[in-house]
Amino acid sequence: MRPADQMLDIPPPIVGVAIGWRTWLVMIASTLLGLFAIGWPLLIPAVGVAPEHADDAPFIFAALLPVILLLVIAQVTEGGLDARSLAVLGVLSAINAAIRPALGAGTAGVESVFFLLILAGRAFGPGFGYLLGFTSLFASALLTAGVGPWLPFQMLCAGWVGLAAGLLPKRVSGKAEMAMLITLGIVSAYLFGALMNMWFWPFITGIDVDGTGSSLDYVPGAPILDNLTRFGWFTLLTSTAGWDTGRAITTTIALLVVGRPVLAVLRRASGMARVSTGDTLKP
Amino acid sequence: MIRRYLLPRPLHPFSWWGWAIALAVAASSASNPLLLLGIIAVASLVVMARRADSPWAKAFKLYLWLGVFIVILRVGFRIVFGGGDGPTILFNLPEVPLPTWVRGIRLLGSVSLEAVLTGLYDGLRLATIIICVGAANALANPKKLLASLPGALYELGTIMVVAVSALPQLGDSLQRVMRARKLRRSPEARTRRQRLRVVETIIVPVLSDALERSLSLAASMDVRGYGRSGTANPLDRALGLALGLGAMSLIAVWAYRYLANAPDTFVLGFPVLSTALLLLGLAAAGLALWVSGRTVQRTRYRPIRWGLAETLVVASGVAAALLIRLIARYGDATALFPSIHPFTWPELTLPLLGVLAIAALPAFITPPPYAAAPRRQPA
Amino acid sequence: MIRFEDITFRYASSEALRLDSVNFEIEEGELCLVVGPTGSGKSTLLGCINNLVPRFTGGVRTGRVVIDGQDTTLLQPRELATTVGYVGQDPLAGFVTDTVEEELAYSMEQLGFAPAEMRRRVEETLDLLGIAELRSRDLRTLSGGQQQRVAIGSVLASSPKVLVLDEPTSALDPIAAEEVLAMISRLVRDLGTTVVIAEHRMERVIEFADSVLLVSSTVQHGETREILAVSPIKPPLVELGTRMGWQPLPLTIREGRRLANPQRRAWADEPPGLPVPTPRDEPKLTAKDIIVRYGPKVAVAGVDVTLHAGEVTALMGRNGCGKSSLMWALHGAGRRDGGTVSLGDETRISLVPQTPSDLLYLTSVAAECEQSDQEAGLPEGTTLALLRRLVPGIEPEAHPRDLSEGQKLAVVLAVELAGNPQVVLLDEPTRGLDYGAKEALSDIVAGMAREGRAVLIATHDVEMVAQTCERVIVMAEGEVVSDGPTREVLANSALLATQVAKVANPTPVLTVEEFVHAAG
Repeated sequence: MRPADQMLDIPPPIVGVAIGWRTWLVMIASTLLGLFAIGWPLLIPAVGVAPEHADDAPFIFAALLPVILLLVIAQVTEGGLDARSLAVLGVLSAINAAIRPALGAGTAGVESVFFLLILAGRAFGPGFGYLLGFTSLFASALLTAGVGPWLPFQMLCAGWVGLAAGLLPKRVSGKAEMAMLITLGIVSAYLFGALMNMWFWPFITGIDVDGTGSSLDYVPGAPILDNLTRFGWFTLLTSTAGWDTGRAITTTIALLVVGRPVLAVLRRASGMARVSTGDTLKP
Repeated sequence: MIRRYLLPRPLHPFSWWGWAIALAVAASSASNPLLLLGIIAVASLVVMARRADSPWAKAFKLYLWLGVFIVILRVGFRIVFGGGDGPTILFNLPEVPLPTWVRGIRLLGSVSLEAVLTGLYDGLRLATIIICVGAANALANPKKLLASLPGALYELGTIMVVAVSALPQLGDSLQRVMRARKLRRSPEARTRRQRLRVVETIIVPVLSDALERSLSLAASMDVRGYGRSGTANPLDRALGLALGLGAMSLIAVWAYRYLANAPDTFVLGFPVLSTALLLLGLAAAGLALWVSGRTVQRTRYRPIRWGLAETLVVASGVAAALLIRLIARYGDATALFPSIHPFTWPELTLPLLGVLAIAALPAFITPPPYAAAPRRQPA
Repeated sequence: MIRFEDITFRYASSEALRLDSVNFEIEEGELCLVVGPTGSGKSTLLGCINNLVPRFTGGVRTGRVVIDGQDTTLLQPRELATTVGYVGQDPLAGFVTDTVEEELAYSMEQLGFAPAEMRRRVEETLDLLGIAELRSRDLRTLSGGQQQRVAIGSVLASSPKVLVLDEPTSALDPIAAEEVLAMISRLVRDLGTTVVIAEHRMERVIEFADSVLLVSSTVQHGETREILAVSPIKPPLVELGTRMGWQPLPLTIREGRRLANPQRRAWADEPPGLPVPTPRDEPKLTAKDIIVRYGPKVAVAGVDVTLHAGEVTALMGRNGCGKSSLMWALHGAGRRDGGTVSLGDETRISLVPQTPSDLLYLTSVAAECEQSDQEAGLPEGTTLALLRRLVPGIEPEAHPRDLSEGQKLAVVLAVELAGNPQVVLLDEPTRGLDYGAKEALSDIVAGMAREGRAVLIATHDVEMVAQTCERVIVMAEGEVVSDGPTREVLANSALLATQVAKVANPTPVLTVEEFVHAAG
């Protein structure tokens, strides 16, 4: 009998990012903060927003959010990021960065990213999907000059999409699985659009302080319903009908056409470390 | 001494970001279009003078176009969704009647000078801030920036490096597969389904190829010691977590107080409680990153050192931002915020010119980046 | 230096043992050549040295590994980074950073070397490998040989005691391979590093190998000549020595020539009768003035080619000389900027690309075969039957990406041949194949020629050309520099001569078979 300490029994390797309770805590905190940074115009009308501050708010949050994101990334990567998951993250981010300018619209439309993000989140789990959302948009920004105040918000929202894909029920398979992923794709396409609009609503239309603004502007201190209507019209007119629907349609088509084979390829990658064990070409 | 200082070298990326952010802060606290155009000119000048020969450096003009787009969009919104509310009506557009349940939205109608000007000023300010970020993006090498991040963010940097180097390989792989695709005799794609199938025959080999490569890469990283530097001990992890959560809460409370304009004690025009909250939050965040990366024993090959030039760059930006603040408080505030109602022409006063001159200094007093490799003449 | 004690290994997914009670010991400063057929477990064995197997691959391993007197059985690969340097087959896939200098420093960064020490070592490594002028170059712009040198340098920089090289030249052309192997031999001489190398171009390494590790059903370790004498795979020179009963076995051309003195003297007086290729006069493909250019770069500069029925032609020349471009232009799927290609009536043409897996996108071999039947409008099962005839023993349910290089090639060949093409073009099919797989490929090619097809093979492998091809076309800078019967072209060339031809020079004997036959 061999002594037990000489026996190495290593299970087949798996690509994924483990999330412990600490990481969940940080992720939840950052999610709440992120939602606040995006949705403040609707969240705090009751106390009355100081007009001069409301004007700067989009920038202030754009400057603070990276700090939060760095904290989250440090926490998520600290626990369980082995070389394999890191390499796969890098390669998938590169693919996302490559197809984004090729197929997507400008900085506001992130059409093509969702498809691979959702599939990767499904195949490799929530932690991986969350990180991939961050790294995909970050890589894309670095490679195609998309660094700007919008970047941290996009990263955060894309992270949520990847996370959601990873959290979907595991046992669903076949047609139901595809239908579930497509539903997620459509929902996140519109939600992502609305959240991004919410952030840049006061930013792009300006803030109506002295009554000279347009009627779509954010009015600090106005009743929530009032601002919600204005925002609703703003987002409907600027993107829901255009960008967001485009994003939903492209994601759906991509998932329908290549979703299944791509998911199969990704799932295979998890156990792929096995060196080819085939026999030779000998007749 | 001076010659040594002026030897070509890339500056620390943090210095360019510091300068650009300070410039953006300066721009955010003024609406004088002449000053804003001046800041854009300064940013462009420094970018032209000190950018290296790299793809991200060439992207600067995209940011300029984005700036133009923002201004047009903002003014356009004022015109399309009612810009009436002002005494000086420029022209009248026929107002489109909307049903009553559309609360408070106006489509077209009369357009006032005040509304258009507010849109223009605000849009220009926004554009200036974006262009400042663009300048930082063009001047700072993102690879060096990632390499300068604290140890806790090392993995993020590595992912980005992997992504950047995987990109051209993906291109090659795609080209190869597309060419090989022509070799399989596909029958005439009659239905749409068959035509869509072609996408699958391209994306599957390219993706499989990329994933197989990433596996070799992972093995290569593993055998060369990646991840050996160890993780933080339990105490440090707990400390890092507490500091991280603490930082987030502090920043959240600060942001709420800031937006809600909560009562505060002012010393020298600074709200004491708010400022303390913000500084504490940021310090906790920095500390959290430092603590989680503390036990990591990794070193950097040829790191860019922070030298005199870096300090000068940041100082010029910060000085410009501070000067603007001083002018707003003690000097002629109307120079920064020219009145729209009633309309007065904006002016570029001497102090403002001084601010621009200081902000432009990095174009002249810093060492140039590496000279581009001499290009071979085409044969 | 390296001791394996009773190492047994199997993958988690299968019960079959990949390594079964392996025992050997490699001394310090030794250069050990690992030989064995593909799939025999060479890579697995090399991976066991730094615990990449099973730590990275998964699986069950028992036994002990001792390196430099230290029991390393349970360590992680990364903890062995300063002890064992490991270099894989494809250098480009293993690069983490993007410039030469940073790549050399990567390992030291991970290990926490002091910056000053790191700088000094990077400079030393640059000089040691003779790549100082490449220091700030982008890794992707380097040639294959330079890339592999950087990859070796990147593990040497942290001065490991053992260097493990898994087929470091399999993706390189002969000149680049020569460069890399010359460098490795210099390292062994100058630094005394212990090197374990698996290499299918054995003939380049056996000269300076101190020992050979033969991996087949069992693992044997011993003195070079001893092990080679019993090895199922040998370089042609050793094969010749064994067949002729020469003692001691020749390992270099010089030794071979000395031992072949009697035969050469006899042939000088009376040249041996050598087989003459049958003349061919049934052209299947005639191409005139083929031009391919990419912008200002001319890849193929007005080439005329005629391929005949039943003839196997080799297309040779260094990398980038236009071989590939010519093939794609002949096929019609690639770029062609001038010239004409005329095929006989009803003649189909097929091309097997350099990376066969580019053509495979389904999840099983059977599905690929069915797809091929559909595409070619053939009755169901034709392609699979063809594949079985070409290479028996491939599981139809296997995932194409799990197959060995040789098997992938076979699947693509079957798919391409299913449409019954009369002209077959093969773009570097021998890349990554070992002796056994090459032999099988030779048989398949010979079979295609017997069926009256015209075959054109682009390759660097002179031994394979000598055995399989009747005619050789050599290209340089987009032009044809020689075109003639294999014997004339190969025997008269300093660079393209086979090992046997070098031994027999000036008599144009190319293969072991011919030599033995001529010697009586």
